[in-house]
Amino acid sequence: MADEERDVLIVGAGAAGGAMAWSLSRRKVDVVCLEQGDWVPPAMLPKNHLDWEVRARRSWSPSPNIRQWPSDYPVASYGDDPISVFIYNAVGGSTIGYAGNFWRFAPSDFRVRSLDGVGVDWPIGYEEMAPYYTINEREMGVAGLAGDPWSPSREPLPLPPAPLGPHGRLMIDACERLGWQWWPTEQAIATRPYDGRPACDLKGFCPFGCPQGALATVDVTYWRKALKSARNGVDLRTNARVREITLHPDGRAKGALYYDGEGRLQEVRAKVVVVAAGGLGTPRVLLHSTSARHPDGLANSSGMVGKNLMVHVQTFAIGRFAQPLQGWQGTWGGAVSTRQFYETDPANDFVRGFVLSINPGWSPLNLALQVAPWGAEHHAAMDAHLNHEATLFCCGEDLPDSRNRVELDWDSLDAHGLPGVKTFYAFDDNSTKLGAAMIGRARELLDAAGAVSVRDFGVSPPLGWHLMGTARMGDDPATSVTDADNRVHDVPNLFIADSSSLPTGGGVNPTSTIQAVALRCAERIWEMRGELG
Amino acid sequence: MAYDWRKEEYEVTRPGRTRIDYRQEIGRAHVPIGVERGFTVVDAERAETLRAWVSALIPAAGERPAAEEVGAAEYIDATVFLTPRLRGVLLDAVDAVDRIASEMVGERFAVTGPAEQEAVLRAFEANDPLDAFPMVRDLTYEAYYAHPRVLEVLERETGWRYEIAISGGELEPLDEHLLARMREVPARYRKV
Ligand SMILES: Cc1cc2nc3c(=O)[nH]c(=O)nc-3n(C[C@H](O)[C@H](O)[C@H](O)COP(=O)(O)OP(=O)(O)OC[C@H]3O[C@@H](n4cnc5c(N)ncnc54)[C@H](O)[C@@H]3O)c2cc1C
Repeated sequence: MADEERDVLIVGAGAAGGAMAWSLSRRKVDVVCLEQGDWVPPAMLPKNHLDWEVRARRSWSPSPNIRQWPSDYPVASYGDDPISVFIYNAVGGSTIGYAGNFWRFAPSDFRVRSLDGVGVDWPIGYEEMAPYYTINEREMGVAGLAGDPWSPSREPLPLPPAPLGPHGRLMIDACERLGWQWWPTEQAIATRPYDGRPACDLKGFCPFGCPQGALATVDVTYWRKALKSARNGVDLRTNARVREITLHPDGRAKGALYYDGEGRLQEVRAKVVVVAAGGLGTPRVLLHSTSARHPDGLANSSGMVGKNLMVHVQTFAIGRFAQPLQGWQGTWGGAVSTRQFYETDPANDFVRGFVLSINPGWSPLNLALQVAPWGAEHHAAMDAHLNHEATLFCCGEDLPDSRNRVELDWDSLDAHGLPGVKTFYAFDDNSTKLGAAMIGRARELLDAAGAVSVRDFGVSPPLGWHLMGTARMGDDPATSVTDADNRVHDVPNLFIADSSSLPTGGGVNPTSTIQAVALRCAERIWEMRGELG
Repeated sequence: MAYDWRKEEYEVTRPGRTRIDYRQEIGRAHVPIGVERGFTVVDAERAETLRAWVSALIPAAGERPAAEEVGAAEYIDATVFLTPRLRGVLLDAVDAVDRIASEMVGERFAVTGPAEQEAVLRAFEANDPLDAFPMVRDLTYEAYYAHPRVLEVLERETGWRYEIAISGGELEPLDEHLLARMREVPARYRKV
């Protein structure tokens, strides 16, 4: 069943797994990657079809419970603020349906305990992350402009910023009027032909699949290159669902047992094992990898596996304007953003902060479902809103809390009989206050932009597309799962590098940081290769 | 990202819930839009009621067709054909609408006037433990707003260029002069 021992086994071919596979394989490391999902064929992308809005509610739904791909596992949501969980299980992971809003964390994001007395500090800081952000921006192809006074100085981005569109101009004018900071948002979108990918042609509604391949989803960035790199490329095995990480008698990781596409049990052995299965998938694999030595799950001597789930405080605030706004086109990674309220302000009744990023308005079906009542008033409502809206994406920091967590769900099993997951989540007082302030500022901005009315979605149920913190890095083995190099405290040749690694989540979309962590971890594995065998 | 999941009635999984969540049930039921088709689950009499129902949800207005004209009733029927657990929900709902119509106005739903139809549907919507009303409404909206005929009228009447989402478009690049004030601001990020 098992083939020869490989150098590195990576579980999960998503944002982090793809970056890591590329980084190791270009150093001629022999890498095998097990991914429970498959490649997404072009025909599956909603945006290749006129009825894309309907497909986005069916086979492309970001909820695994709705679309029910063979690669999906059941996810249930509990707690005072039960999360609407959105993940994709495929080559490219959740990036295949993401928007490409691509931020670096701020230096303060790595030091929230020292600066604000909340959460935990990261075991590494911005300066250590900066080189990996740069590599990642080059490899993903990130568009934007260096020079934002709200960020440390940095080298130029590889691609120019995306066009603003009328909604972007409205936001800039409003920020200028209010005296707020603004800057073109960094977006993982090829605004020019880049690295073999064509330029974005502004079809809009990016998360519904980018037929162009201009949106930097990891299947078209890292994986395209990782499969071609030295030593015949990475051995990427799709439809391969990892059941458990296996151990040698001495306690070192041996490899993994997985079900192949035919449902047969297979084994892979490797000198180093990396789990990069995402904020839910990683604790799921670890908690399911029980043994006499690890009865509560692997890597879990701290009890922190699955704990400290963070999702950000998020919402959309939508302004309706008298003038038409060409809402049918433009990127959805937020043309322009403001970080005016990103850092802790002692005048607030909460700590930490948020960003506001502007996008176009909603498409007809989504809009109808949101605003158009049935009956005689239906068409008038559509006329008032369609092509007259701009959408402000609002994202703020939530803090780690061990009560917010992921557990195995033995009542709901996947196609292989493995348990699904239950999430438990509630906003704390800080998040609640931050959320209220964020919505207040969003309304202020849209008012200043001239909106005739503003609506918002509220912050609960939380939008669950940033699922972080469930196997966090840290210096203390009693309160963290891995060390600063993403090496599991309990198992010397086992690493965890993905969204679950983030000790805190900043107040911005996290993928850029997740991938920088993964690239840094790959380099550490390379540097430790002598010790790791 | 179909953002309507955040509407009030959206329900995430909770323990002890017994009614079928149609939103999850239809996840694997994709029905092509704009295709001529008849009814397979709903019989002729109920089909008449369902047609009238969808058109009461989205009535005709000017060039905009009523929902039944773009096949919304048949679309709903085809969807529940693919999701057998929802067939009973739909059939019961159609019967309930006709029963309420006969109690309230003494007529079958399909032949009564618009004001009466609205009153009947509001009464049904207010007492709908199985979520049939939002199911029919959401599916009607889907059939309507993905239909080429509707999208063409919308483009003429609202300027919404639906084909750009498929074929692409152009926008002016960023004018960096706009950044003049921002470029003057001294470094403002929090030092650590
Ligand atoms: C709709 C949507 C919009 C988003 N927009 C943005 C955005 O604009 N900007 C941003 O920064 N982020 C965005 N995100 C979030 C972003 O996609 C995630 O943060 C990122 O993909 C997480 O990376 P990851 O590597 O931790 O997990 P993933 O990318 O999800 O990858 C995990 C992979 O592991 C695989 N896996 C899991 N368990 C197993 C197993 N047992 N065996 C084998 N394989 C397994 C999964 O199938 C998956 O492919 C968005 C997400 C969604 C869903």
